[in-house]
Amino acid sequence: MHGSYGRVIMATVSLKGIKKIYDNKVTAVHDFNLEIADKEFIVLVGPSGCGKSTTLRMVAGLEDISEGDLLIDGKRMNDVEPKDRDIAMVFQNYALYPHMTVYENMAFALKLRKVPKEEIDKKVREAAEILDITQYLERKPKALSGGQRQRVAIGRAIVRSPRVFLMDEPLSNLDAKLRNQMRAEIIKLRQRIDTTFIYVTHDQTEAMTLGDRIVIMKDGYIQQIGTPQQVFDHPANIFVAGFIGMPQMNFFDAQLIADGGHYSVKVLDATMELAPEIEAKLKAAGVGSKAVTLGIRPEHISFSGENGPHCLTGKVDVSEMMGSEIHLHVTAGDRDVVLRVPTTELSAEHKAGISYGTEVHFTFRRDLIHLFDPETEQNLLPLENA
Amino acid sequence: MAKQPKSAMSRALVRRETISGYLFLLPSLIFFVGFVIIPMVICIVNSLTDANMNTQGLGNFVGLKNFIDLWKDDTFLEALKNTFVIVIVSVPTVCAFSLWVSSAIYKLNGKLLSAFRCIFYLPVVTGSVAVTVVWKWMYDNYTGVFNYVLKSTGLIEKNINWLGDSKYALWCIILILFTTSVGQPIVLYVSALGNVDQSLVEAAQVDGATNFQVFWKVKWPQMMPTTLYILVITTINSFQCFALIQLLTSGGSGTNTVMYYIYYTAFKLTEKAGHFGYANAMGVILAIFIGLLSALQFKLAKEK
Repeated sequence: MHGSYGRVIMATVSLKGIKKIYDNKVTAVHDFNLEIADKEFIVLVGPSGCGKSTTLRMVAGLEDISEGDLLIDGKRMNDVEPKDRDIAMVFQNYALYPHMTVYENMAFALKLRKVPKEEIDKKVREAAEILDITQYLERKPKALSGGQRQRVAIGRAIVRSPRVFLMDEPLSNLDAKLRNQMRAEIIKLRQRIDTTFIYVTHDQTEAMTLGDRIVIMKDGYIQQIGTPQQVFDHPANIFVAGFIGMPQMNFFDAQLIADGGHYSVKVLDATMELAPEIEAKLKAAGVGSKAVTLGIRPEHISFSGENGPHCLTGKVDVSEMMGSEIHLHVTAGDRDVVLRVPTTELSAEHKAGISYGTEVHFTFRRDLIHLFDPETEQNLLPLENA
Repeated sequence: MAKQPKSAMSRALVRRETISGYLFLLPSLIFFVGFVIIPMVICIVNSLTDANMNTQGLGNFVGLKNFIDLWKDDTFLEALKNTFVIVIVSVPTVCAFSLWVSSAIYKLNGKLLSAFRCIFYLPVVTGSVAVTVVWKWMYDNYTGVFNYVLKSTGLIEKNINWLGDSKYALWCIILILFTTSVGQPIVLYVSALGNVDQSLVEAAQVDGATNFQVFWKVKWPQMMPTTLYILVITTINSFQCFALIQLLTSGGSGTNTVMYYIYYTAFKLTEKAGHFGYANAMGVILAIFIGLLSALQFKLAKEK
């Protein structure tokens, strides 16, 4: 879609040292720094109360910025009213005007801008076509289902051809099936309208699938900014490691043993060698023997037929059959460990699930072990191309 | 009764629920029928007779004579005109003023808001006789505060007989009616404004609406049910303006209203010993006007 009135839509957004302190002295966002490139899709993700929505609302102009600078296309926007920021926003509860028809809802912003009627009509119908809501144009929002309302809300935003497209948990009021479908549609939509997106969600799947880059937040602080691959492969700290990935990463108290140029970790009663690339990084960072928190994703634990010094042994607690894989909850020592085992890797007797109490031996893929400092909770391995 | 799929409840159960429902209604139903419905019916029947204070039972049936006579009665026509002036002036001003005040105060913090609500609501809860007597003092020809202030500031030279001069009397009454009428609309509007979905307001701001546009295109339509209610109650109140007239002018100096004239005709007109039939005919006409105007307001509000 091209920009309204033939203008070229371009928007970089920079947030420089943005801070939000509420009247009651609660600081919702601390020193938020982010450079968003033109046409980038940024996802702010984090648990509720982490400040992600507040940050979005500050970009929209619906919340005052207590400190720092917000620049859109290099222009400082802190004191510019929402109406003059040329942004569009999709709200969690849709926020459709109940007294207007779908058509009027979508045309509202253009009418306010005194766009000629024919052009409004063209844009509204075009957007309705994209979102497959043409047949509902004359209806009032209350006569629509949740999914249809969300489409209208998105339609209302895209007719504007805004410089920046803000979405505040747009899918969280939808049921799981519809959410998956809409997520796919947002990806398609993004290819069509190609503008700068800032998307807020608490759902890591949405964050991973939609974002060019993800900003993970907690308690008002940015925990990590990176591509989905980066945050998944190299979480900056224990919080990010636990937040991204389903099922959650397993954590163990472990002992890192440095022996000359070689490193190994002792977890429960097993001792595992680390992969050479991890060793190299540890060495470069000058890490010596110390207590560490070891993180390993459920899919990076593999079964081993027999016991060995590098193997952990545990008893199956729960076996969840997911179809293509089994989520196995195993008690090893006093810890609950989750393994994700593709059914194709299972022997015929275990295909339907592994019964309670079965003893299993498993080991970690040594190149995919994450090591964190138990004190600072930061990743011990420096990130490449950070 | 709530909508239930018929098969979900047995017929006996439905009947039992219906009966208990009516039983709960019974006490208020008795009062409603006894003191509202029956008097209304008697009023309509009476309006077709020549009943007066001395009549035993119903008077003689005179058909529509009372209604026809009314349109030839100059006093009634003047009262009708005054009534309409009151309605036409007070309804929009009450509505607009209360909307204005509530928009200004609804965002204030709790205590300040309560203080304002209290101030504007005070005349509503204070007995109308007490309020009216205070106003009567203020309007007083010799000792009233209005004359005193206007004279001391040199705006007038001679005392004005506010309630005795037909140029001013009706407007003086409208002013009092106004102050006693705005309390409830303000309280209602404050809560309606507070209930407007904030995300709609934000959506409109992002969509590019100015504060005025946000108000006019988003908040105002959301408040339509409240506005309608306020319009209807203010209209009814204004049509039924009686106590003020009775206490201040007794219908003199061009302040006669239909409501007052009904009372006067029924209970005061000594030479006819209270013309009930005639007064009831006026009551019926007043009811018709109120009904029509309210219906019109509903229709307009619906279109909006």
